[in-house]
Amino acid sequence: MLNRLFSEIRFRLRALFHRGKLEQELDTELSFHLQKETEKHMANGASPDEANRRARAAFGAVQGTKDDARDARGISLLDSVVQDVRYALRGLRKRPAFTLGVVLTLGLGIGANAAMFGIVDRLLFRPPLGLKDPETAHRVFQHRLVEDRRPRIDRNFNFRRYLDLQRNTRSFESFAAFQTRTLALGEGTDTHEAKVTVASASYLQFFEVRPALGRFYGPAEDSVPAGAPVVVLGYDYWKSRYGGRSDVIGRQLRIDRSTFTVIGVAPKGFVGAGDQGVPAAFIPITAYAHAVRGPRYPTVYTWTWMEMLARRKPGITQAAAEQDLTNALLGSWRETIAEQPNWGKLEDLGIRGELGPMHLARGPLAGQDSKVATWVLGVAAIVLLIACANVANLFLSRAFARRREFAMRLALGVTRGRLARQLLTESLVLALIGGAAGLVIAQWGAAALRAAFLDDAASAVIVDPRTLLFTALAVLVTALLTGIVPAVQTGRGNVNLTLKGGANEGPHRSRARPLLLVFQATLSVVLLIGAGLFVRSLSHVRNYRLGYDVAPILYASANPRGYRPTEAEQQTIAESMLETAKRIPGVQYATLTISVPFWSNEGTGIWVPGVDSVNQKWNFLFNTGSPDYFKTMGTRILRGRAFDERDRAGTGLVLVVGERMAQVLWPGQDALGKCVKIGAENEPCAQVIGIAEEMHLRSLTSERDYSYYIPVVQHTAPPDPQVFVRVSGDPERAIEPLRRELQRLMPGPAYVNVVPLSQLVDPSLRSWKFGSTMFVAFGGLALLLAAIGLYSMIAYDVTQRTRELGLRIALGSSVSRVLRLIVSSGLRLVGAGVVLGVLLALWGAKWMEGLMFQQEPRDPLIYGVVAGILLLVAVVAAVVPALRATRIDPNSALRLD
Amino acid sequence: MARTPIDLLQGTLDVLILKSLSWGPRHGHAVARLIRASTGGAFEVLDGSLYAALHRMEERGWVAAEWGLSDKGKRAKFYQLTAVGRQQLRSETATWQRYSVAVAKLLTATDQP
Repeated sequence: MLNRLFSEIRFRLRALFHRGKLEQELDTELSFHLQKETEKHMANGASPDEANRRARAAFGAVQGTKDDARDARGISLLDSVVQDVRYALRGLRKRPAFTLGVVLTLGLGIGANAAMFGIVDRLLFRPPLGLKDPETAHRVFQHRLVEDRRPRIDRNFNFRRYLDLQRNTRSFESFAAFQTRTLALGEGTDTHEAKVTVASASYLQFFEVRPALGRFYGPAEDSVPAGAPVVVLGYDYWKSRYGGRSDVIGRQLRIDRSTFTVIGVAPKGFVGAGDQGVPAAFIPITAYAHAVRGPRYPTVYTWTWMEMLARRKPGITQAAAEQDLTNALLGSWRETIAEQPNWGKLEDLGIRGELGPMHLARGPLAGQDSKVATWVLGVAAIVLLIACANVANLFLSRAFARRREFAMRLALGVTRGRLARQLLTESLVLALIGGAAGLVIAQWGAAALRAAFLDDAASAVIVDPRTLLFTALAVLVTALLTGIVPAVQTGRGNVNLTLKGGANEGPHRSRARPLLLVFQATLSVVLLIGAGLFVRSLSHVRNYRLGYDVAPILYASANPRGYRPTEAEQQTIAESMLETAKRIPGVQYATLTISVPFWSNEGTGIWVPGVDSVNQKWNFLFNTGSPDYFKTMGTRILRGRAFDERDRAGTGLVLVVGERMAQVLWPGQDALGKCVKIGAENEPCAQVIGIAEEMHLRSLTSERDYSYYIPVVQHTAPPDPQVFVRVSGDPERAIEPLRRELQRLMPGPAYVNVVPLSQLVDPSLRSWKFGSTMFVAFGGLALLLAAIGLYSMIAYDVTQRTRELGLRIALGSSVSRVLRLIVSSGLRLVGAGVVLGVLLALWGAKWMEGLMFQQEPRDPLIYGVVAGILLLVAVVAAVVPALRATRIDPNSALRLD
Repeated sequence: MARTPIDLLQGTLDVLILKSLSWGPRHGHAVARLIRASTGGAFEVLDGSLYAALHRMEERGWVAAEWGLSDKGKRAKFYQLTAVGRQQLRSETATWQRYSVAVAKLLTATDQP
């Protein structure tokens, strides 16, 4: 038995590995046989030719015999696959235009998907690099109720809360505290800002990574309160700043306001829990907190800044752990309230803990970006579907053209299964090539995507195993989608009829193709409507008046970096910054400021005679400025006047209010001249001297925020050392001169940072920008594909109907009638698609609502324009082949076989 | 030809080949010749199927193949029964005999039972 098994295995192996030799042997054997037969027939008096013919006839087809003999060897499946692939490749080489078209179409479809998958995977699914046991690792969130019992979710905590949670929970193996901050690194002229993750030692233990060099810091170096001044460099930072030298260990690096000793280098690509990019360095959180806030920071509940991770103990369910967390939070808040009674009652705070996923984008605080990214992935999938429909269509028309060939082969005994397999192989080969092209496209397009969606461009490798796997799946689905219809079609039909029928006249026309076309048109309409909505949203955002200009303004700020100037010194620095900035060539106006849009803003309670509980009803942000404040910002004064040189420290207090603020405080009255007490009820009156545009300082749609403006010289605190400057010409070019001049004014370790205001404002426009770019790109692609599909189908139809059309013309049908006939058949299909697409878009509009900016998702204008575009494209795509049809010469058309 | 060739019944070819090889090793052509001659031309053995069958049997270990020289000095593949093949021939012969007796009994029966 065993012996037989061995012999069988040997036989199979021989069959696999000695294919050439076996083929040869088979040839020899069979030709020997033929020769013998031929000899026999010749001996019986046949001519050599006749003898040979008879010998072969008795044999059946030689090829068939070989196949049978091979089948016996059990390798025929593999063999026939190889054969099919060869056959497919040969066929594709013969039709380069067809092949190129299909590969490009699929490449774009698959490429778009691979690229988007890379992004969405990073945002939503893939655990951070090196994370140990992702199942039990969580981000910690806290729910509570704020004013008006509005729910609020926090992910920032204070250090004492972190200590409380560690002490008072039992369900967790460990907690980690961290935050990625932009800090100043280096000294003197070498000073630069970079992202630094300040993290507890336990944070590093959440990950299963080894340092590329040296070591990580441990609990002893992260001890409360002061820790140790050690730093682990990020890999990229080490490469770029230290040239990857190993003697970096032991070097000193100034970070923020203290000096740290380098003890290690993090492994390549390590970002930690990172949503904020690849850090340049990791430092112990205790060392940082101590340097910034002194030794009392672990004992107070006031400095809320860092984020937390938690790891459940094995065997503890998430619900149980969450309950434990909530209890510990409640205990911690009880102490908070004992120390700061103004928090109110614990019951009213509605404290609850949540263990969220590590991915912020999937957690309770997910931003708009992840939603848009998910949408765009959906859009990419639709584009792939359209591409598939197109290619399936092309395959169908090819299959239709080849149906006589197929019928012939069926008649010759090739099974339908084999034929279908061959067609599927062909589509698989094409999908594979398309997938390869897609990866190239994805890699190429990925840079743009990364820049738009992920901050850490350096760490994101788009073509990685997960993306490859996804692409492989996409290829497989594509192959099935494109190949299945033609394969099924070959299974149908009557061989006899087909063989008898003329080459250009099928017994049946495929019903699948028009359906595919309707499907394509439908999807294109949906995408284009989406594109229209996003484009309009973006243009609303762009044209939206923030209450100030953005493009021509630079923001320069002095960072004291631990230097503690006296109030008088800070005053001097701020004033000299303002004066210096004004002298820089290209600077038109400059102003001191306290609020920076989308960055930081100040609010102070106000009291208005005759209006009750002002601060409970509204939220007032205030800004201080120099006399040129409004000219610098481009904020328009609507009534009254701006503050100017006349308003000084000793003169009467004045303020300018935003127009909405004027409306809510003094509805129906003139706000000018009214009295506002700023800061406390017993402060003297400040007089409203002007009404200005409302500034949007926190968000584009801050309905609850109102703003007012006071002269910086009348503010109680010394001015912050930061200025806005308005530049004529290219603001980028003014950055460096401005920074250099201002840096000269800095005492000690302080340094100046200058950025365009747009850099601070743009992130809040990002989701619309990205959405409109991607929807327009994909929508355009979809339209193009649909147009190609329509064109090729109608063109093909015309070829098929040459005889009929020729007959019509011969019988006196006018050219315009023929044109109408053909164009209307195209229009009917696209029209059906448009109707379906519009219905689908109307239905899906409710999910788009949240992503739009001042844009009604059922905007009839957009729907109308899209429908028009599609119908127009349909007419154009149909007219070209239709015109060709009218030139058919009836004579030759009728003579076609 | 006096008699119309009969299509081979499924499974018949194997036993015919085994039988023709039981008289000694021979190449494929000789097997075909032998079958044709000894059945009086009753069976139309398509030569292609013959080789398929031979290879199948080789795979199953019923026959062993060896390259040798034909009587005219040409290279030819000679097939030979193995022990397993012989056993197979015996059991298939027995089956066939039982089968044909049974069929004949019914077909030649005169009374309805």
